[in-house]
Amino acid sequence: MRRTVLWKALCHGLLTMGFAATTAFAQMGNAPKELRMLESGGPSGDSIEQAYIKPFTEKTGIRVVRESPTSTGKLQAMVQSGKITSTLVELGATNVVMARTLGLIEPLDWNAINPGPLFEEAKWPDAFGYQYFSTIMVWRKGEKPLATWADFWNVKEFPGKRALPDYPSYTLALALLADGVKPEELYPLDVDRAFASLEKIKDHVAVWWKAGAQAPQLLEDREVAYSAAWSGRIVENDKLDYTYNQGLLMLSYFVVPKGADPAAKSAAMGLLHEMSLARNQAVAAEVIPYTGASTEIEAAIDPAKASLYPTSEANKKVQALADPVWTATNAKEIEKRWQQFKLGL
Amino acid sequence: MSRSARSPGALRSPALWLVVPLLLVMAAGFNLPLLVMLGRSVVGAEGGFTLAHFAEVAETSVYTKVLLNTLRIAVITTGLCILLGYPLAYWLRRLPPRWQMVGLSMVVIPFWISILVRTYAWIVVLGNAGMVNRGLLGLGLVDEPVSFLYNELGVIIGTVNVLLPFLVLPLFAAMVKIDDRLLRAAETLGASPWTTFWRVFFPLSLPSLAAGAVLVFILTLGFFITPAVLGGGRVPMIANMLDLLVNQMPSWEIASAISTVLLAVTLALFVLYLRLTRLEEST
Repeated sequence: MRRTVLWKALCHGLLTMGFAATTAFAQMGNAPKELRMLESGGPSGDSIEQAYIKPFTEKTGIRVVRESPTSTGKLQAMVQSGKITSTLVELGATNVVMARTLGLIEPLDWNAINPGPLFEEAKWPDAFGYQYFSTIMVWRKGEKPLATWADFWNVKEFPGKRALPDYPSYTLALALLADGVKPEELYPLDVDRAFASLEKIKDHVAVWWKAGAQAPQLLEDREVAYSAAWSGRIVENDKLDYTYNQGLLMLSYFVVPKGADPAAKSAAMGLLHEMSLARNQAVAAEVIPYTGASTEIEAAIDPAKASLYPTSEANKKVQALADPVWTATNAKEIEKRWQQFKLGL
Repeated sequence: MSRSARSPGALRSPALWLVVPLLLVMAAGFNLPLLVMLGRSVVGAEGGFTLAHFAEVAETSVYTKVLLNTLRIAVITTGLCILLGYPLAYWLRRLPPRWQMVGLSMVVIPFWISILVRTYAWIVVLGNAGMVNRGLLGLGLVDEPVSFLYNELGVIIGTVNVLLPFLVLPLFAAMVKIDDRLLRAAETLGASPWTTFWRVFFPLSLPSLAAGAVLVFILTLGFFITPAVLGGGRVPMIANMLDLLVNQMPSWEIASAISTVLLAVTLALFVLYLRLTRLEEST
């Protein structure tokens, strides 16, 4: 009786392992009928689906499967384990530089991408800048409007609690702008000066938010009166007012993990081509008010809505462009000082 | 089949062999990654054995401070759970059986609601425009909304709320087993109600209370959602720090070193928990 039970157990075990092995083998060596990408999800993901994936699939017949959320940790896990499950990975500019330093990404084939005209900062050898977003000042309609970050820091004339991002790469830059540093002279960041500037406001900051959706929610809940927020969450919200003046402009990129399947990679270049076209970017901007990197975007979007977008002419010139290389190189030290700062709150 | 001198029957039992596939899956899916993580904390950049990562964790005051902060919040949470949970369990014990059901279900039903939903519910209740603040403002007791949230108070409220059932339910189960006749015997021997409680009832419930407290402590150490949502960024706990180190930096070696320290602390506490529950079974 015992021997039969043992035999049955072994057979079941081997069957399961065999099944698992065959499914694994079945997925290797596929000609790309399907492309996988890792992106941040939410309305941003929807914008990619409607504006870029649709025309791409119509042209090439290749299905694109989106996964979310994305992180540098996931990229590292893929590359270190050798199993590249996503051919395109979305990363913020600073994370791209970090990934580059860690040797996690491959150069892109710009000839294959054959992009429409793009802003220079979107054309890195190993990353494709696909979406601009801004960190701007926001307040509830009816509160005193702000013009500059110095106003944000001025609690006497503009009373009320504040909310700032729990990300030193954003908040230190904003603190310097509040302290009077000109946008062109922002980088390299004077970290000591930034923390000194934060000391002046920290008692009035009720929340250091981590999720993009927190900022508008805190404003609507009357938890805070003024906040820094990511522009896409704000500009179409009727209850909130904002200004792009002195906003921090940043770019999100798509990268290819090191060791990606070459056939999948060349297919992905076609998708990146779609992302570079102004007419597609205009469609994306309808879904989420972020613009792509095309220099011709102004012509493609509805002029009445131009003020909503980070890269419309009027908005682009009043903002400060973040420097991801500096931020990435100094990320570890800044993060440690930031955590130290938060412990002292 | 091999024989063991201690338990000759165990290894021959068919039940053991049925469990083997499950054990293999657990070994591959759980124990192996755990060992890889532990290994990562002692492997240097070139591949040799090194304690440099632990040294870096010990030297960086931020990591040790956050660990201590987490331990401190865990102690406070455990203390509050005991203060609130013991009377609750005692009161439940003395209810007639039908009301006991009602009382127990009120403790258990929040378990069935997602922790994220519960955490956000606190924002509705305790936020600046929430029910409590609006009540206080309306009654004129305060001029400005009180900050219950986005600070340590909010985190502790949220954590105690989530972990209280973990203390109350085992404690209640142990209290129910305490024989009423012992208490009555103490009374007939002339003990006052307080003496009966303190010298007869409390020591009998103590092992279960201690075990529940250790459980709550261990769970608080790993808490992530509640400090992330209700802390407003000003309550750094170790799980949030690990999220940063793993997903954003990524500094997996440092994260592994910190995780190993956390695992060691938790294992030590778990051994304590086992000792206490064994104590309870023998009384």
